[in-house]
Amino acid sequence: MKISVKWLNNYVDLSGISIWEIVDKLTLAGLEVEEVEDQAAAFDNMVVGLVKEVKKHPNADKLKLCVVSDGASDYKVVCGAPNVDVNQKVPFAKVGSIIPEKGEKLSRVKIRGEESFGMICSERELGLSENHEGIMVLNSQLKEGTALSEALNMNDVILEVAVTPNRQDALSHIGIARDLAAIFDLPLKMPEINIKEEKETSGSYASVEIVDSNKCPRYVAKIINNVTIKDSPEWLKNFLKAVGLRPINNVVDVTNFVLHEVGQPLHAFDLDKLSGKKIIVKTAGDERKFTTLDSKERELLPDDLMICDKERSVAIAGIMGGENSEVTSSTKNILIESAFFNPSSIRKTAKHLGLSTDASYRFERGTDPDIVVWAARRAAQLICETAGGNSAKDEIDVYPRRIESKIVELRYGRLNKILGYDIPKITVDKILKNLDFKFANKSEEKISVKVPLRRHDVEREIDLIEEVARIYGYDKIPEVSKIQVTLDKKVDQSELDNNIRTILTGLGFYEIITNSLLSESIAEKFGRPIKILNPQSSEMSHLRPSLLPGTLITTSKNLKVKENDLQFFEIGKIFNLKDKSNISSFDDFEEVEHLQITLTGKAVNTEWYEKDRNFDFYDLKGFVVEFFNKLLKYNKGQVKLNSAGDEFYQYHFDYLIENKIVGRGGKVRNGLLKLFDIDQDVFSFAADIDSIRSIEQRSYKFVELLKFPKVYRDFAFIFDTEITFEQVREVIKESSSNLLHNIKLFDIFQSDSLGKGKKSLAFQLEYFSDSRTLTEEEIDKDFRNAIKAVEEKLSGKLRGN
Amino acid sequence: MIAKIADVEKNFKSDLKKVSQPNELEEIRIKYLSRKGLLTQLFEEFKSLPREEKHKYGQSINELKELLLKSYDEIKSKLESSQAKNETVIDYTLPERKKQIGSKHILIQTLDEIKSIFKGIGFSVYEGPELESDYNNFEALNFPGDHPARDMQDTFFINESFLLRTHTSPVQIRVMQQLKPPIRVIVPGKVYRNEAISAKSYCLFHQVEGLYVDTDVTFTELKGTLVSFAKQLYGSDLKYRFRASFFPFTEPSAEMDIWWQPAGKEGRWLEILGCGMVDPNVLKNVGIDPEKYTGYAFGMGVERMALRKYGIDDIRIFFDNDKRFLTQF
Repeated sequence: MKISVKWLNNYVDLSGISIWEIVDKLTLAGLEVEEVEDQAAAFDNMVVGLVKEVKKHPNADKLKLCVVSDGASDYKVVCGAPNVDVNQKVPFAKVGSIIPEKGEKLSRVKIRGEESFGMICSERELGLSENHEGIMVLNSQLKEGTALSEALNMNDVILEVAVTPNRQDALSHIGIARDLAAIFDLPLKMPEINIKEEKETSGSYASVEIVDSNKCPRYVAKIINNVTIKDSPEWLKNFLKAVGLRPINNVVDVTNFVLHEVGQPLHAFDLDKLSGKKIIVKTAGDERKFTTLDSKERELLPDDLMICDKERSVAIAGIMGGENSEVTSSTKNILIESAFFNPSSIRKTAKHLGLSTDASYRFERGTDPDIVVWAARRAAQLICETAGGNSAKDEIDVYPRRIESKIVELRYGRLNKILGYDIPKITVDKILKNLDFKFANKSEEKISVKVPLRRHDVEREIDLIEEVARIYGYDKIPEVSKIQVTLDKKVDQSELDNNIRTILTGLGFYEIITNSLLSESIAEKFGRPIKILNPQSSEMSHLRPSLLPGTLITTSKNLKVKENDLQFFEIGKIFNLKDKSNISSFDDFEEVEHLQITLTGKAVNTEWYEKDRNFDFYDLKGFVVEFFNKLLKYNKGQVKLNSAGDEFYQYHFDYLIENKIVGRGGKVRNGLLKLFDIDQDVFSFAADIDSIRSIEQRSYKFVELLKFPKVYRDFAFIFDTEITFEQVREVIKESSSNLLHNIKLFDIFQSDSLGKGKKSLAFQLEYFSDSRTLTEEEIDKDFRNAIKAVEEKLSGKLRGN
Repeated sequence: MIAKIADVEKNFKSDLKKVSQPNELEEIRIKYLSRKGLLTQLFEEFKSLPREEKHKYGQSINELKELLLKSYDEIKSKLESSQAKNETVIDYTLPERKKQIGSKHILIQTLDEIKSIFKGIGFSVYEGPELESDYNNFEALNFPGDHPARDMQDTFFINESFLLRTHTSPVQIRVMQQLKPPIRVIVPGKVYRNEAISAKSYCLFHQVEGLYVDTDVTFTELKGTLVSFAKQLYGSDLKYRFRASFFPFTEPSAEMDIWWQPAGKEGRWLEILGCGMVDPNVLKNVGIDPEKYTGYAFGMGVERMALRKYGIDDIRIFFDNDKRFLTQF
């Protein structure tokens, strides 16, 4: 909202207070000034000049040599305008000023050999209009040397104020002035209204009937006859332009002025277009369509509140007037509407129409039912002044539902308990009084005040406490330098996530954070996604049912910038519908925290010390196993393979803890990769963090260090290629005693020299006992058993024999 | 005796001159310096001498011992260094073998920083769901059904009663329903806003919520705590201000600004967080007596802090996950 500081001064005398102090104090009190526009800044170094002399330029036919005085000195100026003449008062830009039209700084120049110390400006050069016929000639009464901004009446400062939704009362100049008056402890001055009125009352020209008094508790109408519709006077146009409005005609401009002055939206009807000279306030009912004064046809709902005459609707109440009754250049007699509408009714209508106007913005936040008569009279006064009509006596005031002021109590003790600081009672009282809260009752401990109807936000004691605190100034309330801390057990629910992050970053992974919103076509491939009712776009219409698509999107984006080798993880929520397809309780969907680990590209790039190698399935398995070993120290987790894969993975493994699957990973199917334009293998693993969390966090017990030596035995076998490592391992395990603790595969070798369809696997077996040193004999016995079993059960041929 | 000493010295010196290999040196060590070596034998002999004789030869025999040991050491280290030269020549300037440690996302790192400051002054960390009920996100936080205050936060709705949380504040409700005062928690998490994606705004961002409810929680303590926080994050010479604002779930409400002056640019006030005293209606909604208990709450955006700290001007880069960005932090 734009506020003119010049106009503010009409309601509260701010002389002697700098703009910056006004801006700071308003902002601190909750009316944030977001921008300050100093109109005069554009006219720096420009003054009213008196043209003392005009001569022909010796070297140019169309140029003239002038002498311009600023009252103190004379300046030689070269001027090309045809209309420049002696004794004119002109806008004179001195060296150093910036000409608004071009935005260039004016310097001392030589024009065709003659020096020029400034410039006489046209309206266009000053940015005032498109007129460039000649120089601008100012009122001859102006004194030379006067600042040009002052002479042009362009010396206002405009504040852009952001008003929070609770402060409807501040959506006007008087509203802002009232807070400033309280902040600086100055009196608020309401403009005086003197109107010469006709003998005939407003009621004798028209009548008002409220059918729906719930939606319209109060409606005031005032009649003004014999107006002349024309352009508004300069002061009114200037005001409207300053607050960002386009002047239309004197009557409409006055209604807009009053809205910005006091916050009451008004509407002017052409009285002669009102059938039966009657206003009826009722809901739209069966009426479906209505054309507003911007010539747009609007669709109505039966509950929309309408202003009607005897036959038809003439305005959508509180939002916009109708084309059929608007004030035009031929309008003679007008009816000024100044009403109070139910905020939620206006809000509903404005919302479904998708139409927000200056009026609806205020009505839906709640206007002041007590200002409607004042506003109607203020409009009448200004219309009579600018449009010359006669105001009818009094106004029609239909007020079927009188709204009573609330009485709210403030305990001084409570104020101090909330703030932790004693504001003197006398100061508290003064602040409340300055904000127009009338005292109903007062004692040592507490004060009761009558809340003005414009303050819809003040209903409770805490609301008054805020009023006092913000006007007193938060900056004057000290801050403590010590706090008490209770010594109870602290909780950190993010701890598991942090541990996961620490381990994975240690393993070389980078963390990513991807968008939780996906397109339907992608989301539906990864689960049972939940749809957003009002998405920003179809690209982000569903919640992610898995972290895998985000991973693939990230991979794809990186490949596009030639970052091909990626090792990253994400921790985030995923969302899936359960059985039902809609959500009516928290049981109808799952929100689960997931971890996704992803590898793609090269594990190793060729360097002087090694050859390059792509990430593969075993890398993924290795990272996952090591990750869980570190995360859950007691972990007896298992890897369970599935070479057939599933819908996401070509082949995969599950990770089980205590026989419960907590994660799955593998080689992502090429079909999926294609969807994301990925043309290299991707290995990914997803774990359910919530179920890891739910596995009891048992305390880990230390394992005694081994006091006896470990013994190693190696062997290698030739197998058919179909035999898997896992099969061999199982056979060795079964055939061995509990002295065997570890089976390490240390070499795989395939070559024609072994025979077709053959491979060699080499193992190292580790034997030890935690209670004694083993003898050669018992190890040999175990080792021979293993060899025999492998030979018999898997037809392995022992090598090197 | 004196002749024997001279003999040993002479022979040792001549033997030593012939040494060129470590094994030859070892032979000399055994011959002279071992337990049965010539030097030891001399000492044995010396021990058996009468007292006055000992006096006579003591100094000479000790000088011999020192000489033998010193010479032996010199030759030994000479041999060792000449041997090292004969091994493979190492080019110490070869590039290092590459290692990789990853990193947490910069937003998480920023969040960690915020968390650790508050954990240090006794706050617990709680989390809550992102898909929330309208009740927890708005109603219980004192946003009436059709109040314009709801327009302050553009919401992604799932349906009439479920939505993507627009702030972490609904976790206030969950925590207060679950715990008894004193409650002192922060709540980090993702929140969603239905705003067009641009350099300045994204459809989701991270927030940290704070809540403290106890019998004597005051506005002065709220200010003190947040000033301390901001100083730890931005430095102790920080210029700041609290200005009045509006949030339905706090009253009085405030926003905290800090004075921000990047080098070579014009300074300006920058909002870093919103805060206020917990509204009595919110306490009532969770069954806490607002006459007995008071509280404060605050909330801040993590992205904004990271943007500022690292001089990033486009919020979208956080969610692009470009490796060239990730590896910078």
